[in-house]
Amino acid sequence: MLHTYKHNKVDRRFLITIGIFIVLLVLLFVLHVGLGTVWISPKDVISALFNRPAAEYQRWIVWNLRLPRSLIAMYAGAMLGLAGSIMQALTRNPLAEPSLTGVTSGSILGIVCWLGSFPLAAKYEEIIPFAALAGGMLTVVMMYLVTRRMRDNPFVLILKGIIMSAVLSSIASLILLQNQEQLPTVMLWMIGSLNAKVWQDWFTIWPWAVVSLPLGIACYRAANVLQLGEEVPIGLGFRLQRTRILLFVVSALLTAGAVSVAGAISFIGLIGPHIARRLVGQDSVRVFPTSVLVGGCLLLFADMLAQSVTIGIGGKGSGLPVGALTAMLGAPFFLYLLRRSRR
Amino acid sequence: MGSGFSGITTRFSAMVAIFVVVLLGIGVLGLSWGTPSLSLGSLWNVLFGHSHSVESVVVLQSRMPRYVLGALCGSLLALAGVLLQDSMRNAIAGPEILGVSAGSATVMAAIIILQIPVASILQPWLALLGGVMGGGTVVLANRNNQSPVRLVLIGVAVSSFLNALIVVIVSMGQESTITLFYSYLMGGLENRYWTQVVLVLPWLIVIPVALSLARKLNILRLGDEVAKGLGMKVIWIRVLILIVSIALVAPVIAACGPIGYISLLSPHVARKLLGTQDAIRVLPMSALVGAVLLTGADIVARQLFSPVEIPVGVWTTLLGGPLLLILLNRRLGSAG
Repeated sequence: MLHTYKHNKVDRRFLITIGIFIVLLVLLFVLHVGLGTVWISPKDVISALFNRPAAEYQRWIVWNLRLPRSLIAMYAGAMLGLAGSIMQALTRNPLAEPSLTGVTSGSILGIVCWLGSFPLAAKYEEIIPFAALAGGMLTVVMMYLVTRRMRDNPFVLILKGIIMSAVLSSIASLILLQNQEQLPTVMLWMIGSLNAKVWQDWFTIWPWAVVSLPLGIACYRAANVLQLGEEVPIGLGFRLQRTRILLFVVSALLTAGAVSVAGAISFIGLIGPHIARRLVGQDSVRVFPTSVLVGGCLLLFADMLAQSVTIGIGGKGSGLPVGALTAMLGAPFFLYLLRRSRR
Repeated sequence: MGSGFSGITTRFSAMVAIFVVVLLGIGVLGLSWGTPSLSLGSLWNVLFGHSHSVESVVVLQSRMPRYVLGALCGSLLALAGVLLQDSMRNAIAGPEILGVSAGSATVMAAIIILQIPVASILQPWLALLGGVMGGGTVVLANRNNQSPVRLVLIGVAVSSFLNALIVVIVSMGQESTITLFYSYLMGGLENRYWTQVVLVLPWLIVIPVALSLARKLNILRLGDEVAKGLGMKVIWIRVLILIVSIALVAPVIAACGPIGYISLLSPHVARKLLGTQDAIRVLPMSALVGAVLLTGADIVARQLFSPVEIPVGVWTTLLGGPLLLILLNRRLGSAG
């Protein structure tokens, strides 16, 4: 009886958290659509979204300029949040996330190789995520080999991921610097930016989101099993390595989709899951959906900050890349996690 | 014992001789390769004759300062690496990992992009200040911590914050030129002339100071307890060494930007070559190794995809990253 009651209570807490974050997500989304060189109030945004605009120009701005960026921010954030939370579960390492394990840089390298391979590559935007996935998967394999099948101590694993990431980025730079025409675009990818996103980019990301988000959430059971350590799952008859590889592939899938449109945005996958776990506990069945929502909120929020700074300094150049802001928010958080995990 | 000692001395002399020759060889290649390409004979003429041809201008005003700057910066970085690794007893310490390089680079980016009027002679001092702040943050965040890997991760966190700050600063500039990102995040030796060499020259005074710290490094390597037992004020000596190593790095970053991995790797190469940990020999040796690595990497950066030039920092990362991974697997194993 007591056990059932407790379970219900936790479930209610989970549902309330989810509810709050959905509301927050919608709120941030509307504000994000409204934010730009021309401010559009939330009320006007909503009327424009429902095709009853107060003024025709607002409808045009909302539908043609703002909406794709906001949608991409929300979905890319959600995918990175989930990717991070899967990685943390599968490596049993609270510091794991796509950019700190090298997977993000690997995806970028895949894209750079693809775009550099022949001149027409940039026209087939729908291929880009596949190139990113190939690069990400290759990184997973290399990390697997370098970290003695992921058995390294958490700190050592992340350090190796960071070094791997540095090496992969410099290979990408090497390729980039030879075809200078594509340099500006791909450089923004390497930092992570949502500037000048159009519907075309949304069409690239949404099929990946539709496939990978449910797939990722559905992996909660495998993730929970891996949390138990080495012996118990083997005792239960689980094929440990196979499960790990499956989960890694799913997180690479999520990362590839997000990175191929939004670029190497870091630390969302680190912060999102930690907030989620703090709110709903350790069980992956609750952590995964919460991380999706928190990740979406975080990237929307970070991009709003980036846009505000760009507007604040007069909107010169191509604007502040949001990847720089997530790094500035994420690095202190990483530091805090490091200090907290002292043994 | 006596014969073993002289064996090490012989090895030291031999290695120093070899590396001096290699460094000079790289110099000859660096001065003659490129457009226009020079034969050995015409290089001789340019250097020791009295020609006033186009070649002599290119060699003396463009290639020569670049080579000299590469050699100087390589040695400075390598010396800083030895100081940091030995004083912290951490095989993977280096200014690029402890937030020192990123701190200095942030200050330099701010000065140049935001067009803050500062005399160029003062810039290394401000870079020094930035380095002290970056390194200081890492060292403070690291107190009471024994794990070498955690120290490095703290450094990475601070560095990535500062690198993001550089991106913000560059975005605020008048024109968001992409090459600017590279010059402050990666560093390079392209378009460096005698002005930059002159900027670095006064800071060479720090080299003898660094060399004179060798004995203290040897004691620190034995552990804090032993050092204290021998009457050393461990904390103060360590702060002193940190400041000296930042003073070695600051002019490099003011002149060339944060070139990574040279200071991390050179000490290891030097120790391996000499077969000893003794800082008295490792310090000068790794200065030579650093000079060879940086000037060598710079030739590759210039020539491999000529006429396109790849920033030298890209090459040092490509070289250094994998070696660091190997080092991690050897030295640390599963211990954190």
